[in-house]
Amino acid sequence: MKPTKIIIVAIALIGSLHLYSQTLNWNSLDSTKHIVNVGIGWDYSLYYSLGYAYKVDTNTPFILHANFSIPSGETLLDDFKTKIGVQVILLNKPNLKGALSLNGIYRRYENPLVRLQNFGSEFKGSFGYYKPRWFVAGEVGFDKAIVTHFKHSQSYREIIYQDVKDGWYEPTTGGHFLYGIQSGYSFKKSDITLNIGFVTTQDFKTTPLIPYYLMFGYNYKI
Amino acid sequence: MNTKILSIVILTCLLIMSCDKELDINEPGNLVPKTVVEDPNLPSISINETLLHVETYGNPDNSIVVFLHGGPGADYQNGLHVKQLADNGYFVLFYDQRGTGLSQRHDKESYSIQLYLDDLSSVIEHYRTSPNQKIFLFGHSWGAMLAAAYINSYPDSIDGAIFAEAGGFNKQLLDEYGEASRKLNLFSEATNDVMYFDQFLTGKQNEHEILDYKLSLASSFSYTNGNDEGIEGPSPFWRNGAVVLQAFMDIAENEGFDFTTNLNQFQTNVLFIYGENNKSYGLGFAQKEAAFFPNSEIVQIDDTGHEMIYFKWNAVHPIVLNYLNSLN
Repeated sequence: MKPTKIIIVAIALIGSLHLYSQTLNWNSLDSTKHIVNVGIGWDYSLYYSLGYAYKVDTNTPFILHANFSIPSGETLLDDFKTKIGVQVILLNKPNLKGALSLNGIYRRYENPLVRLQNFGSEFKGSFGYYKPRWFVAGEVGFDKAIVTHFKHSQSYREIIYQDVKDGWYEPTTGGHFLYGIQSGYSFKKSDITLNIGFVTTQDFKTTPLIPYYLMFGYNYKI
Repeated sequence: MNTKILSIVILTCLLIMSCDKELDINEPGNLVPKTVVEDPNLPSISINETLLHVETYGNPDNSIVVFLHGGPGADYQNGLHVKQLADNGYFVLFYDQRGTGLSQRHDKESYSIQLYLDDLSSVIEHYRTSPNQKIFLFGHSWGAMLAAAYINSYPDSIDGAIFAEAGGFNKQLLDEYGEASRKLNLFSEATNDVMYFDQFLTGKQNEHEILDYKLSLASSFSYTNGNDEGIEGPSPFWRNGAVVLQAFMDIAENEGFDFTTNLNQFQTNVLFIYGENNKSYGLGFAQKEAAFFPNSEIVQIDDTGHEMIYFKWNAVHPIVLNYLNSLN
C-alpha cells in the first residue's frame, strides 16, 4: 500500500475502534459539548445509525464525530459502516453558516459469494441559513472507496469463477457524488433533522441502483 | 499504555496489509474470467464483426438445435444439459451472445435487437452445412424472447421452437413478468445483498470487468429462499454481461419492443414449457404467450422453477426430444 493510503487506512482504523457526519443546527449549540445521534435512512440500502459528536470550543469551532451504521437484514453485522471525522465551520455569520466535514470510513459487506472490506473517505460541504429553532442548507459530498479487500466464498469459486483472486484491489474501486438539502427543527436539547438528495457515480454517466438518499435523524445535546 | 498498545496493533495491521501485492480491478482474469478476446484457447468463432464463445456437439450434418441462453447478460453454462440432444441425433449449438459470457465486449451504444438477430443469422450460417438442414431454436427466459423476435422477423427460416419461460414477447408482458418476479422486501437480507455493495464498487459506463463482476455478486438474489421464480439454488455461469443488460433495459424502456406482430404467420407447432414452482409465470402466462402462435402446446415441468433446464433436465429432456422428433 502507498503511504497516502496507509494514512487514510490508519484514520479509518482508528475510527472503527470508536465511533457520520452529523447534521447539526449550528445556531443551537452554544453550551453543548456532547451530541448523541440516532438515525434511520436510505442510501445504498435501508439503514440504522448511531453516532456521537464532541464540540471543541476554539476560535473556529469544530466538531469531532463518529458514527456506526448497519443496513437492514436478518444477518446482523455482516454489513456495516463506521465513520470518524471532523466538521469545521468555515463561514460563521449570525445566520449564514458554511461547514466542511471530512470522514475516514471503514465498511464491510458480505453475501453468499464474497466478503468485502473497504477503507475510504467522505468529503462533504454544506451552506445554509440557520436560526436557533430551525435551519435549511444545501449539501454536496463525495464518497470514495479507496482500497478494498476481496475474499470470495467457496460457492463463488464453484458456481462462477474458480480462479478468482482474493486480496487488496486498486485503483479505487468506487466513488459517488451526492447533492441535496438538509433541514432541521430544534427544541430544548433536541434536533430533528432531515437529509434528502441524489447520488450519482463519479463518471456522471451512470447511477447507483438507488440514485437518491434520505435520512431522518435525532440529536440529543448535552 | 493503552495508546502504545493501540499504536502497535495499528502499525502491525498496516505492515501486514502493505506486504500484500495489490491487484488491479480492471485486469481481466482477476475477478472475472477472460473472454475469447483475451484467451485464444477458448473455443470461438468470428462473425458479424465480433468474436463469440461457442461450443457444438454432435454430427454437424444433423438438424441443428441452437440454444439461446437467458439474460440479457447471462451465458449458456447452465444450459449445457441440452447437449444430451446430440446423442439423440441433433447437432447442438451453444453460443454466448455478444457482450456476455465469454464472448467479446462492446460499447453500450453499439447494441440493438437487430444486431442480436443478425448475430444469430450469422451463427446459423456459419454452421449450416446444407440448405435443407433443419434449424430449431431452444430459448430459455430472455433467450426464448430472442427466439420469438427471430421468428417474428424471419418466420420462414426456422423449423421449430421451444420456449422455456420467455420473460415477455412484448413490453407489456415483460413489465407484467418483471413486477411479479422481482418484488423487493426492503427489510430483507437478500435485498440488502444486492444494494449495499454499490458503495464499494463503481464501474464507469464501459468498464466491463468491474460492471460484470458487480452483476455476478447480485446473482444470489435470484435464488434466495422463497423466491417467486421457484429457483432451487445457484446454477453455474461464467461471466455476466452488465453493459449489454443495461443497453437492452434502456432500449426496452425508451423504445419499447413487440416481437409478436408476425408470429401468426409461423404455422409450425411450437412448444412452451414452464416450471410448476415459478409463481410469476405459470399456465396463465404461458397461455398468453402461446396465443400469439397459430399452433402450440404447453407442458408443465413439475417440482421446479425458472431454472428447469439446469435443475430438472431429466424431466425436460423427454418432452423436448418428443417435440423435436415430431418435426424432424
